[in-house]
Amino acid sequence: MPPRKELCRNFMRGSCQYGERCKFLHAAQQQPKQNPFGFGSQSSNFQSTNVQQTKSNPFGFGVQNNSQPRGFNDFGPKQNQYKPFENKWTRSASTNSSSSRQPDNQPVAPNHTCTDPESCRRQIVEDFNNEKPLWLLTCYGHRKNGPCDITGDVSYEELRAAAYDDAKRGQSLTYIVERERSMVNSKVAEFENLLRNPYASPSTSAPNAQSPFSGATPSASSNAQSPFPGATPNASFSGQSNFPPSASSFSQLGAILNTGASTPPSAFGQPSPLGNSFKTSNSSAANPFSFGNPSAAGSLGFGTQVATQSSQNPFALSNTVGSSGRNPFSTSTTSPHFPNPSGGQLPSVTASPLSINLTSATSTPDFSGDNSIWTKEWKIGEIPEEAPPDRYVY
Amino acid sequence: MSIFGSTASANTNPNKSTEVQQPPADSVTSLCFSPKANLLVATSWDNQVRCWEVMGSGTNIGTVPKAAISHEQPVLCSAWKDDGTTVFSGGCDKQVKMWPLSGSQPVTIAMHDAPVRELAWIPEMNLLVTGSWDKTLRYWDLRQQNPVHIQQLPERCYALTVKHPLMVAGTADKNLIVFNLQNPQTEFKRIPSPLKYQTRCLAAFPDQQGFLVGSIEGRVGVHHLDDSLQGKNFTFKCHREGNDIYSVNSLNFHPTHGTFATAGSDGAFNFWDKDSKQRLKAMSRCSQPIPCSAFNNDGSIYAYAVCYDWSKGAENHNPSTAKTYIYLHFPQESDVKGKPRIGGSSSRK
Repeated sequence: MPPRKELCRNFMRGSCQYGERCKFLHAAQQQPKQNPFGFGSQSSNFQSTNVQQTKSNPFGFGVQNNSQPRGFNDFGPKQNQYKPFENKWTRSASTNSSSSRQPDNQPVAPNHTCTDPESCRRQIVEDFNNEKPLWLLTCYGHRKNGPCDITGDVSYEELRAAAYDDAKRGQSLTYIVERERSMVNSKVAEFENLLRNPYASPSTSAPNAQSPFSGATPSASSNAQSPFPGATPNASFSGQSNFPPSASSFSQLGAILNTGASTPPSAFGQPSPLGNSFKTSNSSAANPFSFGNPSAAGSLGFGTQVATQSSQNPFALSNTVGSSGRNPFSTSTTSPHFPNPSGGQLPSVTASPLSINLTSATSTPDFSGDNSIWTKEWKIGEIPEEAPPDRYVY
Repeated sequence: MSIFGSTASANTNPNKSTEVQQPPADSVTSLCFSPKANLLVATSWDNQVRCWEVMGSGTNIGTVPKAAISHEQPVLCSAWKDDGTTVFSGGCDKQVKMWPLSGSQPVTIAMHDAPVRELAWIPEMNLLVTGSWDKTLRYWDLRQQNPVHIQQLPERCYALTVKHPLMVAGTADKNLIVFNLQNPQTEFKRIPSPLKYQTRCLAAFPDQQGFLVGSIEGRVGVHHLDDSLQGKNFTFKCHREGNDIYSVNSLNFHPTHGTFATAGSDGAFNFWDKDSKQRLKAMSRCSQPIPCSAFNNDGSIYAYAVCYDWSKGAENHNPSTAKTYIYLHFPQESDVKGKPRIGGSSSRK
């Protein structure tokens, strides 16, 4: 029976659960809508092998392997029964399976619609249990194709750039690690809050506004588990032989660094741990302190690095900006130095809460951009004069 | 999890990929091949932009370092001009340098207010587009000092992909903004990301019908632009090991086959065919994450870097023992050529 003339929105998104019974029209949009872009109007030369090329398709689309527009029908055994998200492509047992396609019949949760807080909460719980990534400084939205529930993304590069900047300014690794840790803690707290109140604003009006650690859940603050839970398989990223094998917790590492490099100048000037590390590193061609270590040990590292490389400097510079084979930082005056953890295990260090450095998300669900100053990754010299308003501080 | 080799100096790559000589001293942020020759450029946290030539063939492939330039701060992105003569690089110094490899000095041609995270050369428009953490995209004509156009983004730019006239910018907080480069001053569409966590990388389909988006949650979304093709959208999981969910750091389409590769923080890279929805080849995990990768112009070489990407924070960075590698993988035809779909059952071949 003819459905109402309206096109089914769910079907177009690929996730209509009614299938044949659906009240709305299941069809590709028929109007001769001009290809919105003119994409593909020059026929692409890449076509996949099993495609029949329909070059003069009025839409200018190269038709992919299905001639019908509703391609996803073909891959699931039943029409509209399997959501397109379902094809898991999970790794099968053997690592070398060449065609491990698995249209796993596990039903994937249908596209979540926020009909009631309970289902939202269930979705969130499920996500946090099954889909929790190793990187925690992230935004999150429980709805695919929906807006973020938690904002305040920090990317790897931003964090790294901030760390390198700090090191350049002479901050110790302890400081950097603690700063990162407090960011993670506050982010973890945001996630926990979301779990508790899926519909409330992500950040709470926590009375303990100052310290990130008291505001965070116990699991975040006091345990030995690193907020980067994957840190235990630190060993899997081998090559860090200097690292204490179980330095999977920030606190331990912080302690190590505390004794090893309590103040930046001492970190620079420290002969023994640095010296040792330089010796070991000399044998490898890699320049350990890539930021340019101004101390004597540092220049030794650079010097020997050049020596251990092949005799001629292959990187013949086309300009005179620095001699790249030697000190890539010839132009920089204060070279950042990443203090080297000297090894050994020590009791945990108490961290100084960097309350002004928190990156709690805003409380407004609109995730307005003006609050981003308190959630962004910091740049050089960007220390606000005043502490952030309470609602940004945990 | 397996540990593939540690600090041995011999090539310990589990995939037996060719090692690039004299890799950067610190982690690599981007890799790109010249569109005209087998010249590889890598940018790194050690502030350098390096160029190698890949020579030889068969079993006798070698890499020869050719040249390098410096920035003042870590370099985050790079691109070649379409004629293969010039390299653009941008980074934490908020500038973009243009480096004509023929021996002239690099020139600063673009500036932002915050580090430049992504850039791309658009041959059809003769413009360079740069994306930065200052929440703008800027278009540059190389002869002018000021940008031709500044496009505001809702958030910091994290990823960018260009396949004229399609351009997609991914920003923080999961925004995906599609531009029609025939009308670059307006956003064509803002797409809510099909993924739930931070966007990490993007790749436009070679036929510009859509794009891939990768996130930190070990998932890639395949998204088509046209409304009638929305049924073909899907996401799939990858780069996961047990309960560990790694991020997908790099998405690269093969230049001719239409298949693509993903590389992740788990140190593995895989080849996939989105049309038949198959994984074509899973490669062995390396001991460190793969932050970036690139195909060369004909797809015969897949370069990838193996080095720490900060996915576990500063605490896991040990500069004295950190090693950076760049490897070249020569994919077999069967690894990267699309396969017809297996008939509906879930049997494996």
